[in-house]
Amino acid sequence: MLHVLVSGLATGSIYALVALSLVIVYNATRTVNFAQGEMFMVSTFVAWSVVRAGAPLGVAVVAALVGAAALGFVIERLVIRRAIAATHWDVLIITLGVSLVLKAGAGIAWTNDEFPFPSYFGDRPIAVGPVRVAPVSLGIVGASIVLMGALYALLRFTRFGRAMRAVAQNQTAASLMGISVPRVFSAAWMLAAVVGAVAGVLIAPVVFLSTKMGLIVINGFIAAVLGGFGSMPGAILGGMLLGVLENLAPLYLPTSIRYSVPFLVLIAILVLRPSGLVGRVERRKV
Amino acid sequence: MRRTGLVGLVALVTIVWPFVVPPYVVFLTTLMLVNGIVAIGLNLLTGYTNQLSFGHAGFVAIGAYTGALVTIHAPALPVPFTLLLAGLVTALVGLALGIPCLRLEGLYLAMATLAFGFVVLEAILNLDWLTRGADGLRVPPPSLVTIPLTSEIARYFLVAAVTVVMVAAATSLVRTRTGRAFLAIRESEIAAQASGVDVARYKTVAFVVSAFYTGVAGGLFAFVVGFLSPDGFDVFVSVDYLVMVIVGGLASVPGSLVGAAVVTLLNDWLARFQNYRPLIFGGVLVAVMLFMPGGIASAAAARRRR
Repeated sequence: MLHVLVSGLATGSIYALVALSLVIVYNATRTVNFAQGEMFMVSTFVAWSVVRAGAPLGVAVVAALVGAAALGFVIERLVIRRAIAATHWDVLIITLGVSLVLKAGAGIAWTNDEFPFPSYFGDRPIAVGPVRVAPVSLGIVGASIVLMGALYALLRFTRFGRAMRAVAQNQTAASLMGISVPRVFSAAWMLAAVVGAVAGVLIAPVVFLSTKMGLIVINGFIAAVLGGFGSMPGAILGGMLLGVLENLAPLYLPTSIRYSVPFLVLIAILVLRPSGLVGRVERRKV
Repeated sequence: MRRTGLVGLVALVTIVWPFVVPPYVVFLTTLMLVNGIVAIGLNLLTGYTNQLSFGHAGFVAIGAYTGALVTIHAPALPVPFTLLLAGLVTALVGLALGIPCLRLEGLYLAMATLAFGFVVLEAILNLDWLTRGADGLRVPPPSLVTIPLTSEIARYFLVAAVTVVMVAAATSLVRTRTGRAFLAIRESEIAAQASGVDVARYKTVAFVVSAFYTGVAGGLFAFVVGFLSPDGFDVFVSVDYLVMVIVGGLASVPGSLVGAAVVTLLNDWLARFQNYRPLIFGGVLVAVMLFMPGGIASAAAARRRR
């Protein structure tokens, strides 16, 4: 029971990181990036290629993060920036197109097979108080918490973080205060891609690496909606909750329920409380 | 006068077509028309009313399985009733989905319809006593009163006849008060509400009508391909339908048909290059959104005006 909870938190951390990367882009640009999952998958494949070329794992992880930032920069600059005047609906469709291109591109570059990914942690379970847990679960949770802390510090205490929060609040006012809004857009895409890449290299040793990995973006969305789309603490809470629910449900219900859990959660939250657990209702004007 | 001539020409080509082209082309044309009906249904919801759906493959699946099961268990029922039943069952599901979706918009609606698509697939897999689950379901040929429609050409005429009715109905619908209400909701829900449009009611209507169209097309699809399995209705199929609507042109009935034709042909040509298919579809999607936002229909309209 308790070790299920821990592995639920590990899965949940990954969902939380994906949800965070969606929320970072959403807060800065008010658009939802459907390609986030595929960007995460491509950066993980970059890490894998570097490992296969003989480099140590640490170098591979750095390469994945740099690659992710570059990918985020290029997509924002070449595609999304051109549609800056389009509606959110249009941008959603554009990111859907980008995600198809990335998935197919990865399939051509790395084939659609599944590959094992080297692990950073040992296999021997560690005893934490009364429970024995897999080191990889603890590693994922620990690394995620460190990253979330770093993200908080970045947004809270740096000039750049303040600029991002200002743009999230009011684009016009932010640009009148001398903040370069396009630069913030660009930075948000890169930051989100890096956060996603961390989630990718963390989860890759647990699930096999394949071009299907990008589908995790759906669970990331659900986590973000569960918490309240646009709220960063909400994204973390939603991710953790979803991970735990997904791991606990098969204990009490038929095992086949596991893959339906995210969707049942989504439907429940949309019917009961569409603004999410900690979200606020947005007021819109005509 | 010119219009009558054009309609006559189209009718003549439609009738002569299956007798002059090879059988495979007849099959492809039939599939194009079936996809065209789905695209019209999706366009009524997404193009006219601005309600994004990522779950239309789920509606197609419900229509297809309803059509197939009715034909298996009641082989004597004439095909128009089977199709009507497929449409009505799907419309009922559309109503059940549409009412909770009234509270949602934009991304949330997209997510809910996406979830709906997955739930339909899971249901088909798990109700295997009815649907034969992952093994797939063989569909017997439909019958018109007592004559079974076994040949490719017979199926073509069935689909063509249904398409004519559906296109005529959609073209009329968008010109009525209901169609104008859809467009008002698309432009701005708040402004529509302020002008006296019952937004909740018309959004529900859009959902139900869209589901009905898609369900009828699903029934036809079952007869055209003759074999149904759940993996033929996954989320990427829903994306294909969206591509049809966007490429053809949002809020355009003829555009939906053109978009369906383009996507069906592309799918057929790219069948040997499975890996490149999404690459090209994704590229087309991005290019159309960036450079030709109204799709083929509005590009053609702009040319005519010039």
